[in-house]
Amino acid sequence: MKKQILVNDNLIEWQENLTINKILKIMNYSFKMLVIKVDGELIKKDEYGTKIVSENADVKIIHLISGG
Amino acid sequence: MNRIQSGDLNNIREKRVHEIKKFKAALMVCAGTGCVSAGSFKLKDLLEKELKERNLDNEYMVVPTGCNGFCAQGPIMVIQPDGIFYQKVKPEDIPEIINKLIEGKYVDKLLYKDIETGNYIPKMENIKFFGKQQLIALRNKGIINPENIEDAIARGAYNSLAKALEMNQQDIIDEVKRSGIRGRGGGGFPTGVKWEIAFKTSQEKDVIPYIICNADEGDPGAFMDRSIVEADPHTVIEGMLIGAKAIGASEGFVYIRKEYPLALERLEIAISQAEEMGLLGKNILGSDFDFDIKTHRGAGAFVCGEETALISSIQGKAGEPRQKPPVPAISGLRGKPTIINNVETWANIPVILDKGAGWFADIGSGDVSDSPWNGSSGTKVFSLVGNIEHTGLVEIPMGITLHEIIYDIGGGIPNGRKFKAVQTGGPSGGCLPASHLDLSVDFDSLTKAGSMMGSGGMIVMDDKTCMVDVAKYFISFLKDESCGKCTPCREGLIALYQILDRITKGEGKNGDIELMEEISQTMSLASLCALGQTAANPVLSTIKYFRDEYEAHIKDKKCPAGVCKELISYSVNDNCTGCTICSKKCPVNAISGKVKEKHIIDPELCIKCNVCYEVCKFDAIEVR
Amino acid sequence: MINIIIDGKKIEVEKGTTILEAAKKLNIIIPALCDREVVKAYGACRLCVVDVNDGNEIKMVTSCNYLINKEIEVFMQSERVRKTRKMLLEMMLSRWPNVPMIKQFAAEYGVIKPRMIHPLVDYSENACILCGLCVNACSEMVWEDIIGFAGRGENRRVVMPFEKHYEACIGCSTCANICPTGAIYMTDIPNKPADEKRIDKFGMKITEEMTLMDDEQCDMRGVGTAHLTQIMNDYDLLPTTNYRFGSHKEAGKLHSDVFKAKFTQGLPDGCWLGCTMSCAKSIDNYELKSGPYKGQKVLVDGPEYETVAGCGANLGIFNPEFVIEANFYCDTYGIDTISFATGLAFVMECFENGILDKEKTGDLELNFGNEEAAMEILHQMGRGDGFGIIVGQGIRRMKKIFTEKNDLTDEQIQFMQDIGMEAKGLEYSEYVTKESLAMQGGYGLALKGAQHDEAWLIFMDMVNNQIPTFADKAEALHYFPMFRTWFGLMGLCKLPWNDVEPADNAENDEPAKIPGHVEGYVNFFSAMTGKEIDKHELIRQSERVYNFQRVFNFRLGYGNRESDRIPYRSAGPVTNEEYESRAERYDKQLIEKWNYDIEGKTSKEKRDFLRKMREEDYQKLCDAVYNRRGWDDNGVPTIEKMREIGMDLPEVVEVLKRA
Repeated sequence: MKKQILVNDNLIEWQENLTINKILKIMNYSFKMLVIKVDGELIKKDEYGTKIVSENADVKIIHLISGG
Repeated sequence: MNRIQSGDLNNIREKRVHEIKKFKAALMVCAGTGCVSAGSFKLKDLLEKELKERNLDNEYMVVPTGCNGFCAQGPIMVIQPDGIFYQKVKPEDIPEIINKLIEGKYVDKLLYKDIETGNYIPKMENIKFFGKQQLIALRNKGIINPENIEDAIARGAYNSLAKALEMNQQDIIDEVKRSGIRGRGGGGFPTGVKWEIAFKTSQEKDVIPYIICNADEGDPGAFMDRSIVEADPHTVIEGMLIGAKAIGASEGFVYIRKEYPLALERLEIAISQAEEMGLLGKNILGSDFDFDIKTHRGAGAFVCGEETALISSIQGKAGEPRQKPPVPAISGLRGKPTIINNVETWANIPVILDKGAGWFADIGSGDVSDSPWNGSSGTKVFSLVGNIEHTGLVEIPMGITLHEIIYDIGGGIPNGRKFKAVQTGGPSGGCLPASHLDLSVDFDSLTKAGSMMGSGGMIVMDDKTCMVDVAKYFISFLKDESCGKCTPCREGLIALYQILDRITKGEGKNGDIELMEEISQTMSLASLCALGQTAANPVLSTIKYFRDEYEAHIKDKKCPAGVCKELISYSVNDNCTGCTICSKKCPVNAISGKVKEKHIIDPELCIKCNVCYEVCKFDAIEVR
Repeated sequence: MINIIIDGKKIEVEKGTTILEAAKKLNIIIPALCDREVVKAYGACRLCVVDVNDGNEIKMVTSCNYLINKEIEVFMQSERVRKTRKMLLEMMLSRWPNVPMIKQFAAEYGVIKPRMIHPLVDYSENACILCGLCVNACSEMVWEDIIGFAGRGENRRVVMPFEKHYEACIGCSTCANICPTGAIYMTDIPNKPADEKRIDKFGMKITEEMTLMDDEQCDMRGVGTAHLTQIMNDYDLLPTTNYRFGSHKEAGKLHSDVFKAKFTQGLPDGCWLGCTMSCAKSIDNYELKSGPYKGQKVLVDGPEYETVAGCGANLGIFNPEFVIEANFYCDTYGIDTISFATGLAFVMECFENGILDKEKTGDLELNFGNEEAAMEILHQMGRGDGFGIIVGQGIRRMKKIFTEKNDLTDEQIQFMQDIGMEAKGLEYSEYVTKESLAMQGGYGLALKGAQHDEAWLIFMDMVNNQIPTFADKAEALHYFPMFRTWFGLMGLCKLPWNDVEPADNAENDEPAKIPGHVEGYVNFFSAMTGKEIDKHELIRQSERVYNFQRVFNFRLGYGNRESDRIPYRSAGPVTNEEYESRAERYDKQLIEKWNYDIEGKTSKEKRDFLRKMREEDYQKLCDAVYNRRGWDDNGVPTIEKMREIGMDLPEVVEVLKRA
């Protein structure tokens, strides 16, 4: 059974040592103004490299983009 | 005029020398600002007219030159090649000058008279004032017409540039470093080290640096830079060219104060002539080196002599200093590495390249072979003014003592008065008393005593000078010149002036001296730039050496030197012969007395205008 | 990081931190007049001096602008530092004896009665203390340099040029708000707000956020809307060759860095001079390469994102110079860059598909990427000759003209309908909506046509997945259009609402709404008019006008379900090529959403099915939106709705009776 997490309600594959930064890379999210919550907990920007996400986590990566 | 190559310089020199040799003699009429205001242009015109009328204009040439330095005795004229020195020349003297010239003799009454012996000294080199000088920055003063570039080239101008164009940049910088030359504007920072910082920074950041010449010369009584530019603008231009080659600049600026119209005119003529000849502009002397100089006029602000304020002014903003670091050599004009050097510093550079760093290092005081900070190499131009026999400009090796300058060269105190103090270094410097006359004049010795050499201004004061009044004068000057940005300088100077004004008016209080010391301390520590940091020096040095004078003003309400009007009174002593001249001259009829009887001054009416003192031939007026 | 010691306490700081900033981290507070985050340290009052031992010597420096770049030891309260501050305060107090801030600092240092009498003593409580905050704020925050210092020494004072009123000052009140003593104040405010201070509070908040955080958020101050190009490209949303694709390998040539290097001006441009954002950018001295002004050096006002994406990627032209020149000539001729770009993109695709040929285009080879031909069309549009006259009429009319005149097959006619990116006759602005149903609604349902000023939901929908259901989308398509059009009612620029966000915005429940700013705008309205409203009433105000406009549209034949239709290119892949460029995504959707068996199916078959589903979805979206908005099945506001919002005017009711 493949281990997975939810990112914005999309299922993606989970792996060991899955940091926020890694998720951003997998999803190709290059935008800067992000609000990231893991299982409802707000993750601060300086933790993106250290916060490890466990399997079945519910990750929300909200882009705050205004549009021109 | 075609753009020349370096090989052409020699041809021009020889051609000019050949032209000059055709003449029997040259009448060098001093056309520095001092002599000009005494009428030397008129003299020049009359001389030329007279010579033409007598058909002698092919035998004798008239050359307007820059300042000779003996300014109180102007208008000056020197006849070459014999070096005959005439002073206080008047238009009516001209026919006789020419007559005597043809005869091979001189006009006695125009000659310099030695103070001690009373003998006439016809030749310039025999006059102590001139004989004791060693000319480097001012080597061409009185010898060339500054508005003729060929004269300058005939004296060797631009040969050092040609040399520099063959050298690599680091070698030029090393030569300047080895010479030990330190900034002549007063800061005394080793010039070669500054150039190296700018050079290295430009290389690292891959940007083009700038060259600036600081000709703002704001110190009251200082006119060294003005005289250099008026006498020999090409030495400054050549210095800047060499500096530009060394650090890789292609644009230079001369920031010249608004109050120097003649210097600016001569400089612009020189720049224009240099451009025509290809000594400025593109492909200088046929090389791939380009350099342009623009002049920028100041607008009457002393603070613009401070380098960061100067840069701000060039960029079109208000002349206000900014925080350092970064120093301009790292980040200056338009954020690029910028060398700012004083006129006199630039004027020395061609000679250093010509005669060698070692030659230069051997002149002056201290030993700069390990580091320029260990000594003061080379010469310094001083402006000697105030209560001194020989008022003017001198260039002498560093290390000479104050005593030598004031007495040997300056001729001592006139009118039989006594020496009281010498103010050195302009408003940033201080006053030194007689006990310090054996101090040597260089970058470091004077600073230890609480003054500084500064840019070379030297104001000699006799015993009729009130030191409190002197302090007040300088503080008043600085108060008007403070840019006003930072609190300690702006408010400190206002406060110091208030206190000094009160003291000179007899309203001094106990504690005033201590309060001034406190204010001065804060100004020195907390001001943003060197103007504020040194502004209190006139007060501090006069308190240090002349405290008793302050105390007399404050406690006794007296001015011992007899200057501060509210504190002095005029009276008649027993020397009075009753000649009645003073009573006739008194503008307010305060003096009464009969003929041949001792007169009396009514203190209620006396306005202390000093006229009676000046007209009395019997020393019968006392000012206390 | 660098280790330093302040008053015996160790602290680690980043290189370039000032001593004052470091001290504040340790809760050490000393007097400093210029100490504000929003302007650079001025270093003039000198109160913040401290002693620093840098290993070579101990020197006294101003802590506000001393940058730490090596290990130092700092003494904030050494004896000579205290003495110096005391004397400085004594000097200041002698000149400004009644300014509360000075009195307070002075008292802290034991100065009550100065020993000096100041010749220029100012007894006012609101005296100007020459701190420079106003001058620096006008310069650094608002970029106007309208006030400055004049005079030297004791004559130093803050003035407008030549001490006359300078019309360039529009009374933005930034200087008055930052002044610590009240020496600057606003006098005549012509539109007479009910509560000036309350407005100032919100205004300063936006101004400070802009000054402090914009460069790390959208960089509107630095580069304007052009910052969006690479973001759109990264997320596959950059319209490329008539919206066929969302990215291109050469899009980097249109990156904001490229334009930032060319921008020479950044002042407000026909909008409010006091704006801190100042997002309009211009290029001076651009030499034109074509057209009636060829060879001249001109000022180009832009480019903005839409122009870059439209005249660049959407035409298949990845040359920034072309974009700049097109910007200039569109402005000169009075042509909207979006309509030009989207219209010409349509023409280019028609040309590449045989619907147009050289005979019809006047010999112009209007392929994607052909810069010269594209520029020539622009000049023709300006002159009113050649094929330009046709292009200049817009997509809706072009489709009609080509249908009538060009002898096309039914397929070709349908193709034009599919790829002609216009809604209600207005050309689409430059975002790829293909994968965002909510944004398809955003464009399709907008009152004026395909413009995103009403809703911009692509990221909320496609990336954040925050509005998954029809009800969610409908709610968003109610709230955002109402909120966003409110700015038009007020005459306010909407960009400060969400082109900069407060530092704590992420902590809110609905960060996309920027609640902190919504509250600010509610305060603004209330303080301006004296009428207290709340955020619901704000929406209400919009709703009234919005529905009125919809009725207006209806009266003109643009206000029902039929007019809300969108071209299929905006909802899904029209061609095989498009399908295959995102095959994985489309296949996945077919399988997961509609249980479609893709085994053995051709691209066309899959495409057709996808289309059927997506077109149905769009209609379902319309159902949901109409319902949420209180409109009938046909998308027309009901009379009940108009009554509910107090807009049942007789004329309105009259029109609706005909619905």
